[in-house]
Amino acid sequence: MNLVRAAAAKLRSWEGFLLLILIITVIGNAIQSPVFLTVGNQINLFQLSIEKIIVALMMTLIIINAEIDLSVASMMGLSACAFGWLFLHGIPVPLAMIAAILVGTLGGAFNAFWITRVGIPSLVVTLAMLIGFRGLARVLVEDRGITGFPEWFDAMGQQPIIGPFPLALLIFFALLILLIVVLHFSAFGRYVYVIGNNAQMARYSGVDILRVKSILFIASGTVAALAGLLFAARVGAVRGDVALGFELDIITIVLLGGVSIFGGSGSIFGVLLSILIVLNLRNGMALANITGHLQTGVIGSLLILSVLIPNIRQRIRDALERYQAAR
Amino acid sequence: MRHISLVSLTAGAALLASGAAFAQTITPKPGESADLVLLPKFLGILPFDQANQGAQEAHAELQNPGELLYVGPTPENSVAGQIEIVTTAATQGQAGVMLSNNSGDQIVPAAKAAMEAGVKMVTWDSPIPSAEGEVLFVAQVDFNDIGVVMADMAHSILGGEGKFAVLSATPDAANQNAWIAAMETALQDSKYANIELLDTVYGDDQSELSYNRALALVDKYPDMELIMAPTSVGIQAAAKAMQDEGLCDTVKISGLGVPAEMVSYTLNGCAPEFALWDFVDLGYLTYYTTYLIATGQMQGEVGETFEAGRMGTYTIEKDPTRDAGNRVLMGPFTVYTKDNVEAAAQ
Repeated sequence: MNLVRAAAAKLRSWEGFLLLILIITVIGNAIQSPVFLTVGNQINLFQLSIEKIIVALMMTLIIINAEIDLSVASMMGLSACAFGWLFLHGIPVPLAMIAAILVGTLGGAFNAFWITRVGIPSLVVTLAMLIGFRGLARVLVEDRGITGFPEWFDAMGQQPIIGPFPLALLIFFALLILLIVVLHFSAFGRYVYVIGNNAQMARYSGVDILRVKSILFIASGTVAALAGLLFAARVGAVRGDVALGFELDIITIVLLGGVSIFGGSGSIFGVLLSILIVLNLRNGMALANITGHLQTGVIGSLLILSVLIPNIRQRIRDALERYQAAR
Repeated sequence: MRHISLVSLTAGAALLASGAAFAQTITPKPGESADLVLLPKFLGILPFDQANQGAQEAHAELQNPGELLYVGPTPENSVAGQIEIVTTAATQGQAGVMLSNNSGDQIVPAAKAAMEAGVKMVTWDSPIPSAEGEVLFVAQVDFNDIGVVMADMAHSILGGEGKFAVLSATPDAANQNAWIAAMETALQDSKYANIELLDTVYGDDQSELSYNRALALVDKYPDMELIMAPTSVGIQAAAKAMQDEGLCDTVKISGLGVPAEMVSYTLNGCAPEFALWDFVDLGYLTYYTTYLIATGQMQGEVGETFEAGRMGTYTIEKDPTRDAGNRVLMGPFTVYTKDNVEAAAQ
């Protein structure tokens, strides 16, 4: 009985559960493939999904705040295409890069305006912009692929810059540390949780809800635009379908990380564990030559479990309480 | 004088001999080991499975003790998935990857990195536009021939006069774009003076989208009599759309399709004529080519001639349809009508 209780206590922490899955995955991969633990493969494992996981970090704050940003992948596409379009029209590459990121900031501000000033739910606003940004991206590059960027730009996405680490991976780690500090060690972070838990109560406590939400959506747009640019550099070409459908993978990672879709709970650590699990699973399956459809299926089942397990746990707990109360 | 002529004769013979050595046909030596990966645009459509069938046949014939893998991404994750599989192949140390490229030039960094890691990249069905990151391209048929064949089918179905539109795959699918361009060139000929191309739309090689795009074309152009779809997904979806809406008498479907998928539409008159090459053969030839290159028996340079089992002898040439790159041209084309489609669909 004690053993069962101890195991249950461990499981009670979602992060503990994720850590267990991660360890199993890594050991399984290492046994199954001799190249899994090589530095090159470990870097590739991150590189192949780097843009998604950068955006997932920012999405964590949005969802904890009880909002959602469905427009991130379209924004990645828009920023990449805006960059390509400017490049094609002879704008110097550094300027085009800055402009592409500004497009993200503006797009985020546009989302924030409708959500905070007009009061339309973020689900609706960002769903509209999922279509809107993508449409704009396709208008900009029309039906073609733009390529031929300067070598240094492509190298930025493809070559290591410090040790074996490429730029995008360093940006990921920097953003990870920044968001851990902001979310878990600052007043702003506490507001994010409080609003996510109970916006009404936050308002009475004098939290500037609109300001917090605006900052989050502007940051989300900016980070998505940066990720789009990193994607363009990694593949050395852009077209209208850049990052198409990525929003689902990004939200999957965040929810699997234990962030409640209703807001108010979750942590960056959980999301980091979830990122590592998803990337290691994908990489392991790829090395085992397991094809696309099955990969999608496995990660889909994981998400279903991540939604079901906390629910089932809560019901068992409720039942136990009722049982004890009845006694 | 005799001496000199004798010397020159000898020299001439030596030259001939060396010339012959250069043009010598490479006969594949079976039993060499090379792990190869066949990577389609995505999984789940018939032509790629047929190509795999051909590759498996060649794999058995050449008694390659290595492995032949058939792995591909899902349709909605095609670009990222292809990049991932090429990168993984390099990590695994595969000897060669046979790629039907769906990623335009976005695949270039991954393909180049794989080549640097020692993976021989051979494209088939759809090449890398810039030819960077590939040894060569195994082309199904000459792109210009496809243009003429499509123009001729339009001419025959429209009775020499009428308007039609094109329903293509993705906007920058390299092969479809080249075929459409070739068809537009062919249409310049006075023979096709009364045939007008109205529009080109894209169904992204997805059935539902292609189906809707075909119906949208009908709404937009009431006087359109034919939709030409140079993609196996698009042609089937368009034919089904016309059949479902009872439009087969007014709007015909043609293009490039798989006999097994098109047989009912050809027999009921919705798609009276369409064309294709044999994907089993394409997979077979691609495997032979890649096996020779991956085992070091062939370099992949212009002028090399090799034997490809039951399909005969092929020579590597410069690819005239791209600015750079080499190719092996398979050819020829089959036009299917109600007379021969049933036999081919078996």
